[in-house]
Amino acid sequence: MPRLLLIPAIISASFVILIIMFVIQKGASPFLFSRYGDQKVSFIRFMMGQTWFIPPNEYGILYIVINTVYVVSLAAIISSPIAIFSGLFIAKIVPKIFKNLFQTVVELLAAIPSIIYGVFGLGVITKFVVRIASLGGIQTAGGISGMATVLVLAVMIYPTITLMSVTAINTVDHDLEKASLALGATKIQTLFKVTLASAKPGIITGIVLGLGRALGEATAVSMVAGNAGSGPVFDLFKTTRTLTSTMLLGFKETSGLDYDIRFSVGVVLIFIIIAFNILLGHFKKKAGRFA
Amino acid sequence: MKTNRHRLDKIYLSLISFISLFGVVILVLVFAYIFNKGTRLLSWNLIVGDYYPEVYNARSDGVIGENMFVRPENLSENAWFSAKWGIALEDNADFEGKNYIKVVYIDKNSPLANMPDKNDTNHMVGLKKGHSLDKVIFTNNVIVLSREGAQNAILLFDEAEGIADIIFSKPGNGIRGSLITTGYLILFTLIIALPLGIFTAIYLNEFANPGRWYVKWLRRLVETLTGVPSIIYGLFGAALFIPFISSITSSEGGNILTGALTLSVMVLPIVISATEDALKAIPDDFRHASLALGANRSQTTFKIVLRAAIPGILSGVLLSIGRIIGESAALIYAVGTAIKDKIILTEKSTSLSVFIWSVMSGENPNFELAASVAIIIMIFVLLLNLGIKIISSKFIFKHN
Amino acid sequence: MPNVIEIKNLTFKYKDKIALHNIDIAFPARQVTALIGPSGCGKSTLLRCLNRMNDLIEQTAISGEITYEGKDIYDRYYDVIELRTKIGMVFQKPNPFPMSIFDNVAYGPRCQGVKEKKKLQEIVKKALLDAALYEEVKDRLKESAMSLSGGQQQRLCIARAIAMNPQVILMDEPTSALDPIATAKIEELISDLKTSYTIIIVTHNMQQAARISDFTAFFLMGNLVEYGETDQIFSKPLQPKTEEYITGRFG
Repeated sequence: MPRLLLIPAIISASFVILIIMFVIQKGASPFLFSRYGDQKVSFIRFMMGQTWFIPPNEYGILYIVINTVYVVSLAAIISSPIAIFSGLFIAKIVPKIFKNLFQTVVELLAAIPSIIYGVFGLGVITKFVVRIASLGGIQTAGGISGMATVLVLAVMIYPTITLMSVTAINTVDHDLEKASLALGATKIQTLFKVTLASAKPGIITGIVLGLGRALGEATAVSMVAGNAGSGPVFDLFKTTRTLTSTMLLGFKETSGLDYDIRFSVGVVLIFIIIAFNILLGHFKKKAGRFA
Repeated sequence: MKTNRHRLDKIYLSLISFISLFGVVILVLVFAYIFNKGTRLLSWNLIVGDYYPEVYNARSDGVIGENMFVRPENLSENAWFSAKWGIALEDNADFEGKNYIKVVYIDKNSPLANMPDKNDTNHMVGLKKGHSLDKVIFTNNVIVLSREGAQNAILLFDEAEGIADIIFSKPGNGIRGSLITTGYLILFTLIIALPLGIFTAIYLNEFANPGRWYVKWLRRLVETLTGVPSIIYGLFGAALFIPFISSITSSEGGNILTGALTLSVMVLPIVISATEDALKAIPDDFRHASLALGANRSQTTFKIVLRAAIPGILSGVLLSIGRIIGESAALIYAVGTAIKDKIILTEKSTSLSVFIWSVMSGENPNFELAASVAIIIMIFVLLLNLGIKIISSKFIFKHN
Repeated sequence: MPNVIEIKNLTFKYKDKIALHNIDIAFPARQVTALIGPSGCGKSTLLRCLNRMNDLIEQTAISGEITYEGKDIYDRYYDVIELRTKIGMVFQKPNPFPMSIFDNVAYGPRCQGVKEKKKLQEIVKKALLDAALYEEVKDRLKESAMSLSGGQQQRLCIARAIAMNPQVILMDEPTSALDPIATAKIEELISDLKTSYTIIIVTHNMQQAARISDFTAFFLMGNLVEYGETDQIFSKPLQPKTEEYITGRFG
């Protein structure tokens, strides 16, 4: 019986390998073969390019990678402190009777599908960006912009980081907090110097998960990011283009070079996510050194 | 003697509390927005209706007497009634704000309820409640257009002797097809993912020796699936399952089956971890008691342990359904974005979420329709979350 | 011998249960007082009343009076944080913060606003010396406190309390999680510390109470049964219950 059960386990485990294999196999094809009568796509120009598409067959993705890292980092920078404070609030500050309420609110935010955040982003956040921009007399493409992307992502990763922070803070040994209070530290001093410091590894895991969600988030981002043909774009009021929005925008044909090259973008996304995880895993080890 | 620190402490605590209201504000904004935009179109017709409008073109030879029909009492005050033709019309606006004339009542004996189709005179068509009246040319060559309003139309109807040409349509923008597709996707995804996920979890938790190198690898690979973004699942489905299904059926490109296969890989880690959590929560006493009664390990697992794990598995099912209903990016690649009214398993169609994507990504994004579908999705999400909460508070063994 | 802390008519309720009943006791300065009694007798509750750590528990009610240096510490206007800087506490399980050894000891002073590096170094060194830990850790002050052994961690916690320069140190079964050798070191340390600090210690270990304390208070079911000089309590107790307990007939 255990032998027989090994089969479903192996099938389940093999999917990760299959995913990487199949996406790479399809994503590599534009650089290896010329299937559609054109020349092969130059891999070097693809990796170094500052313009998405120069007909007939030149693609460039470097600026899109930079845009992606830029908006995702900004979203994390905005969202993380708010989320960590919220975690502290839910775990330690809010009166017990409201604790469940706030926890449920965040859980609901986590359960809202990204397509709905996309509708919200296009219907509310872009309007907000237009208003902000008009204060400075700046014209935007109807609010479709880097800033809208950053805000939508910040909203979307907020529940992820908050819930992980709550879990991490709840597991902090009460004795440590008592020790701090017994040393004459105030509640805030205790929360910041002891509670947060002890919960740091868990909170960082939350931020890593949030970054992962932000990097891979496609639907909502593609609805508010725009379609910048070249870059990198650092001006937050201009339209931008991320890896995932590139994969989704203008998606019509299911064959041809324009279709296959989207898989190449997917391969780049996979490698960036792997790199992020390795990097932050290392960072986490350092942060958790005293724990 | 209270120091300054107490005051500072209070200020910081209130500041943190204030910042923490962010989540509440966002949730309220999201709900306020979709309900504000979406409630107007929310109706039974939206749920059971077709997406594509159907246009009819007919003529009426019926001879009309004066005041043959009586105005029904339950008509609203905004409705204009023609006693001659037995119909009531009302002004209405579509999601773009364009006015049209809506049929709110039609007597079953009205000549307009039974007219020969202009394209096929042997075929009879009829004006029905809910239809939109687009254009009428009367036999006296007077023309009524939709934008001219219900009152004017009724006036001209009462003057007219016969109808040379009438164009009317059954309004579209319904989501019946997408609802059915979503149901199919949930059904087939669970049929594939549940056995695979549950057996994997049973192996990992009940039989595998956690010290073995290959068990560690199996576990690590399964856990890695959790971090794969949904769009990558979409690419994978398009690269593997579309060619696979095409080779065994007559389908071309993405379809519901390729979508379900893709989604089943996506929800696999959810099913596995929910099942494993449930298995872990079952005390070893359970297993020992069964073993002590002479049952072997397989019997113990499938008769005792698995049964006790059912609530946990159920909450995994609910989580998976939530993920399937909400999923868009993966399905855009693995199925496609073409909205359909007639659902065939080996053809393209859209789930509710991809439906929103489709109506939002055209030249004129249809916010109202998107928001009303969003309301329906959110109702599902709320119900599923409630179900999960109930299950986890009532049935699952509590850890000590 | 002046009293540092005086308790009058203290009754402490948790939910509907009376945990301490009409306690009257005074703790003399620069002496070691041991609180003994079976589990659940209220001795730890009493200890936590002294630096108001019981404030953290909900559904508690307190009546009576505890005065420290003549002031009622449960007065509405009494600064509890100030109190805790004067009355330090060492817990049952060693609980160093997940920081370096140095940062652990410097934690209290830093919270009080001491920022100057030199001053902090001085305070840390003196506290570690007083806690008889300095020689063992002087080369690795920047290392994690978690790398220390259990006994060293507990002495670090004592150093952490001493760094605040308190008058009183409360110890809640400080050696119950330690091996005999580490316990002996802590006991030795307590005897050294009493020249500068008032120590109140809760212990389960009767021999320990006999060895290190000057005064002993015996509690039973929330009542103070007997309080007196340790020698007297252990050689000729006045109450029969006390004798039964110290001779091991119950508890």
